[in-house]
Amino acid sequence: MSQHNTLVDVKNLHVHFPVFGGVFSKKVASVKAVDGVSFSIGKNETVGMVGESGCGKTTVGRAMINILYHVAPDVEISGNINYRFENSIVDFASLHPKKMQQYRSKVQMIFQDPYASLNPRMTVAQIISEPLQIHKNMSSKDMEDRVAWLLDKVGLRLEQAKRFPHEFSGGQRQRIGIARTLATNPELIICDEPVSALDVSIQAQVINLMMDLQDEFNLSYLFIAHDLSVVEHISDKIIVMYLGNIVEMGDSSEVYHHPRHPYSRSLLSAVPLPDPTRKNKTRVVLQGDIPTPMNKPSGCAFRTRCPIAKPECAGDIPSLVDTGSEHWVACPVVREAN
Amino acid sequence: MADNNNQISLSIFKKRWLKFKTMKRGYYSFVILLWMYGLSFLLPLFINNRALIVNFEDTYYFPAVADLIPGVNAYYAGEEFNQDVPGEAKYRLLKEDWETSDSENWLIMPFYPFSPYEDITTKGNKMYDPPSSTHWLGTDDTGRDVFARLCYAFNISISFALVLTVLNYVIGVSIGGAMGYFGGIFDLFFQRILEIWSSLPMLFVVIIMSSILKPSFLLLIFIYTLVNWIMLTYLMRAEFYREKTKDYVSAALSMGQTNSKIIFKHILPNSLVPVITYFPFSVVGGIMALVGLDYLGFGLPPPTPSWGQMLGVGLQNITKWWMVFSPVTAEFLTLLSIVFIGEAVREAFDPKVYSRLR
Ligand SMILES: Nc1ncnc2c1ncn2[C@@H]1O[C@H](COP(=O)(O)OP(=O)(O)OP(=O)(O)O)[C@@H](O)[C@H]1O
Ligand code: SF4
Ligand SMILES: [Mg+2]
Repeated sequence: MSQHNTLVDVKNLHVHFPVFGGVFSKKVASVKAVDGVSFSIGKNETVGMVGESGCGKTTVGRAMINILYHVAPDVEISGNINYRFENSIVDFASLHPKKMQQYRSKVQMIFQDPYASLNPRMTVAQIISEPLQIHKNMSSKDMEDRVAWLLDKVGLRLEQAKRFPHEFSGGQRQRIGIARTLATNPELIICDEPVSALDVSIQAQVINLMMDLQDEFNLSYLFIAHDLSVVEHISDKIIVMYLGNIVEMGDSSEVYHHPRHPYSRSLLSAVPLPDPTRKNKTRVVLQGDIPTPMNKPSGCAFRTRCPIAKPECAGDIPSLVDTGSEHWVACPVVREAN
Repeated sequence: MADNNNQISLSIFKKRWLKFKTMKRGYYSFVILLWMYGLSFLLPLFINNRALIVNFEDTYYFPAVADLIPGVNAYYAGEEFNQDVPGEAKYRLLKEDWETSDSENWLIMPFYPFSPYEDITTKGNKMYDPPSSTHWLGTDDTGRDVFARLCYAFNISISFALVLTVLNYVIGVSIGGAMGYFGGIFDLFFQRILEIWSSLPMLFVVIIMSSILKPSFLLLIFIYTLVNWIMLTYLMRAEFYREKTKDYVSAALSMGQTNSKIIFKHILPNSLVPVITYFPFSVVGGIMALVGLDYLGFGLPPPTPSWGQMLGVGLQNITKWWMVFSPVTAEFLTLLSIVFIGEAVREAFDPKVYSRLR
């Protein structure tokens, strides 16, 4: 991906949630939810992000729309999240929330839980027109037309506009959420497990809808999921995360078919669908639980569960190194084995 | 799935209202109480010792109507109607006089021609008069009509409880809401205040304050608000705290919605369920608080009609059964119907019924 086409460049992002305790509410520890993450997303590109529950995927996504301060006012964020809008470069990691307003419309998020992401007291029309009221100076007639048009785009009927969210199924709700994000003409949509809560048959419909919309509106996606086969289908690039770090990153089919990091291999061997190309690979079953991000193991965070761990893995934190053709792996042991 | 284009979409609130209406006991209590409370503002037209209409030497006077309108003079001295009494005209006497003397003048008395304030100084009034067709519930230790006082006290009790509750709600929602929404130092600061505040022995504070200051309706409201705002503030704080982490708030934030819109359009409507459910019980609490204070003698200054004061006097004269029976029954029925309302509201707002909404 040439520098020119990059939409957002995340550099060495750290997100730590301090934990307070004791009589004077001193900081006693911190949850290292994201611990040095770098990647970039190009224009019109889909980047898939996978990893176990709690590895920091949602936190990366929320950092990228700069809303972490809302739920966790003490959050410590360092690094850069450089967006390239038209000709200006804006760093969301250091931008004060008050100055965000003009950029809010450009990056939107679809949320994991379709039942919690729509205000139960607003009608669909009110939900979809809310961003329009904020960002577009429109007459109410234009607004109605725009809402109707958006509903049509996501495959909902116009007469459903006066309904309330509780009258819709999960898949339909997710479509409403998509229409809301589209309302402001965003450039990047962060999709936080948009289909995890849906039935398998409906998952495919929603994913196809999202792919169609991407072509039509030139969208970029950061597509967060824990199902690798879904991600492989939709993404150009895959990022595998473990405990706040990227352990493997590269071209989608390359990572999917030739995973190199032991953690990615175990993830892939857990994909239930029979895949002829991976038939002969042995199934790797991980031992033990994921450690807490409050107390990460030294060196390689994965070493407590890694089947090929060596004593030196406890030393330095392995850095993400290109093993050729933009396939990055954070495991010196695997790289040396080549 | 059947196509239900024609089905009307109801907001959650409307659904809950419909559900509430199906709960007969609570709904009828609500309707009856609402009507009674509304009508009780017109009490001077029904229960009053001032005449509704006086026609004296071809001029019309409306003393009872004037009672309704604050600031308008309802006082007419007896001399104005050629009545030989000290002070205000005695309309019941006047009526008798004019009727017996075939006078041109006439007057119409209210339906129940006694006021809650007139006592033995008024001619014809007796202490401890048992219930009769003139005094339906008898008279009390100073000759005041018990039924009249009971009715006026109804209005005062409910008004007191409603004003108190609404005031508590305004304070609780704004401070508690801000604590939950903004968090941080602001939250910590108010939490400490709440903790200190709630450890004060409030009954003593109330008694001390109302024995130093001259109690009045507004002062009592103020004192009780000092005691009661804590509970609601805690409740609202928790609601806002929970609600603000929901994804629909994040969505509003990520589209650049302002804090005030997020608070009033998104969070507030979604955090009112416990507060609404709590409302009737809070009114019950307000009524009981006033009865308690009045009973102890730290409440509204005499001769304000109040159930607590009536109960206190009644218990001192326990043999005069009507003086105890009347306030107890009135209070019991009022509280019971409010509890019925509260029960129905709670049922209607039960999240289990519409668990998909949550
Ligand atoms: N506001 C917060 N305060 C403290 N810790 C937090 C906060 N938000 C997230 N965390 C912690 O950060 C870590 C990463 O959480 P995150 O929600 O990003 O995980 P995730 O990868 O999205 O998981 P899932 O697949 O379950 O959605 C978790 O350990 C979580 O407990
Ligand atoms: S660095 Fe060591 S512990 Fe980490 S994945 Fe590689 S082999 Fe396993
Ligand atoms: Mg998540």
